[in-house]
Amino acid sequence: MQLLELRNELDRTSQAFFRFRRIGPDRTLITNLEGRWLVLSDVEMSAYARGAVEKESALEKRLRDHNFLREGWDEAAAREMIANRKRFLGYGPNLHVMVLTLRCNETCVYCHASPAPVSAQGLDMTEEIAERSVDLAFQSTSPSITIEFQGGEPLLRFDLLKHIVAYAKAKNETAGKTVEFTMVSNLALMNEEILAFMLENKVQICTSIDGPKALHDKQRKLPMHSAFDSATHWIRTINQAYVDRGLDPNLYHVEALLTTTRAALARPRDVVDTYRELGCRAIFLRPLDPFGMAGKTAKVTEYPRSEYQQFYREAVDYILELNQQGEQMIERYASIFLTKILHGEDPNFLDLRSPAGAGVAMLAYGYDGNVYTCDEGRMLAAQGDASFCIGNVNESRYRDLVGHPTVRAMVIASNLDAQPGCVNCTYNPYCGIQTTHNHKTQGSIFGRMRESNVCAVHMGIQDYLFGKLADGEPHVLESFDRWTTVRPREHFLHET
Amino acid sequence: MSTIEGIPADVAHVDLDEKRAVLELDATLYPVESLYSAAFVFIDRHYVFLDRPDAQKLRIVVTPKKLEADPEAAKEQLRGVVGELANELVTAAWRHQITQENRARIEAVTLQAMAGSMGPPSLDDLEDFDFTDEAFEDPLGIALSWEEKYAKKGEAKAEASEGTADSPETSDAAEATAEAKGEEE
Amino acid sequence: MRELRFHRELYRGESVDEAIKVYAPYATITPVEHETHWVVKIESKSAARERKIGDEMANYALGLTIRNQGV
Repeated sequence: MQLLELRNELDRTSQAFFRFRRIGPDRTLITNLEGRWLVLSDVEMSAYARGAVEKESALEKRLRDHNFLREGWDEAAAREMIANRKRFLGYGPNLHVMVLTLRCNETCVYCHASPAPVSAQGLDMTEEIAERSVDLAFQSTSPSITIEFQGGEPLLRFDLLKHIVAYAKAKNETAGKTVEFTMVSNLALMNEEILAFMLENKVQICTSIDGPKALHDKQRKLPMHSAFDSATHWIRTINQAYVDRGLDPNLYHVEALLTTTRAALARPRDVVDTYRELGCRAIFLRPLDPFGMAGKTAKVTEYPRSEYQQFYREAVDYILELNQQGEQMIERYASIFLTKILHGEDPNFLDLRSPAGAGVAMLAYGYDGNVYTCDEGRMLAAQGDASFCIGNVNESRYRDLVGHPTVRAMVIASNLDAQPGCVNCTYNPYCGIQTTHNHKTQGSIFGRMRESNVCAVHMGIQDYLFGKLADGEPHVLESFDRWTTVRPREHFLHET
Repeated sequence: MSTIEGIPADVAHVDLDEKRAVLELDATLYPVESLYSAAFVFIDRHYVFLDRPDAQKLRIVVTPKKLEADPEAAKEQLRGVVGELANELVTAAWRHQITQENRARIEAVTLQAMAGSMGPPSLDDLEDFDFTDEAFEDPLGIALSWEEKYAKKGEAKAEASEGTADSPETSDAAEATAEAKGEEE
Repeated sequence: MRELRFHRELYRGESVDEAIKVYAPYATITPVEHETHWVVKIESKSAARERKIGDEMANYALGLTIRNQGV
């Protein structure tokens, strides 16, 4: 059945608003405004489109139950579901990225941050700037904030990290927010003293693992020894430390992140196995992005997104196999989408919401006190493009930052209901745009989604997930449901 | 002037001597806003010139700031510029339409996002707010506080006793009386 | 001498005036009355310089027009 053939026969009177997409032979996905969905066969789709659904049939019941019929359309339910999906709009920035230094001890072929050598001068955050950044973070209207330490390599300024943790905790005595700390580090400078502090102060730790050792070390270089050995030693040590403290290893462990480069594409299973061997229960199959060094090394690292899709599918198929064999593991991208698809909840991943979180759900504080709408904004500034700088901690008030015209422009530009392509896309209820990516690759924050790598990735992942949902294999559905189960990691919360 | 493969010459062509590409558009298909939107995306890397040859047409002349030296490579570069610009124009035209259709929804979400993150003003914000700014025009002079309206009580009383000026009530009453008399007559 | 013609329905007059002011130090720039266009004549040391200044002026006027939300 060609969907185009239906165009002249569309009934337009019996259907409530819907969008549709072919996801396979004899399968059409339909979604509605509030994000409910069904997969229809060709016969069912034809009947629905022509307004010829048999009364009291199973199809009619399915359509009515999911609010796809105009007769008896439940506006209140639709409104409630939409409001629930957009709940994040009521709150200000919860993620506050603090760039302690631009210096780094590791050289990574795709580094986003345009790092400087360890010996460089004048590229570290001062205590005054750090305190002022924390002051601003606490003015957020969000009842919970996460302070994320980044760099360069943040452990080069472990002293400042300690100071910020102490300062923030003291401030929270009166502020009464829920505070979390996280650190993104290559772990090469970790030692027992630092680890003790991290554990004592409940700082969550994230690092990068790009795949098997040879692959990882080829693209992440330490001067004297293997970056892979260094990172994996500490991943194991830290994970064991959590176990020793009686914490559930399924919930508490180092978060390891993958940046998928061309070298990884042919080895999806090897990449997953590397994570398994480290005891990592989650893997985030992130594609490359164009910021920082990645722009310059694109000739070596970049790839068509169709190849990424192939890699992604093979990797997740493998993870599902492992799940079926009783091994716990999730893929984070899938888990984010599935939470929206299956539960109508938004996990508030800032690049996958409409509008995106830049400036309204996150802020990035540069080492020099400049404040940016997001981490990518500060990466662009490091390369000479300050388009996303919205102020400075020494000069700007909180409301001036989050109310900045640039923030407003990004909110509008990342609203899927304002975007050609997205406005009609079946995945509209679940998707998101990255305005800085548009700016970097296409010259405007609006961009053209049909030509966007981000859109290609998002669409490809959702095609895959909905295909799996339509297949309906019980072990897959069980895994997907488990991947959406959110167990809060309360151990890391600082509350008064 | 040379044509671009796959594109009619009256729609787009390149001029290697002048190092530019020219697009002719149907003005009924592309609102001016979309023209501006698309053109603006290009002005960092190109010189962009707009014209209106007649009421039905728009013309865009695009000159790359850096053009390949080799003529074949230059032509290919200009072809790419034309293609990018055409895509941007279509996108911008559609975005213009979508924005008009979905304006209420977009504004509501934007307002909610900004208001949610900004929150109420702090005392420092209020301290800096210029309350002397006129909030709105007041041609009838009704947005006055009592003190402003009946300023200098002593002077007003004195003027009333001399009969040189009416208070607002008495002048209103006088007007009403005059109107009533006029109606009676 | 180079002549630029900015269509009145596409460029704000004030934006063209502003562009003239900005680039006046670099060439002799003369506005000319015309019914449908803001016409500007540019004279400088060489044709290449006239072209460059004209191109930059055109972008400047366009940018300002767009920033001021069109005509």
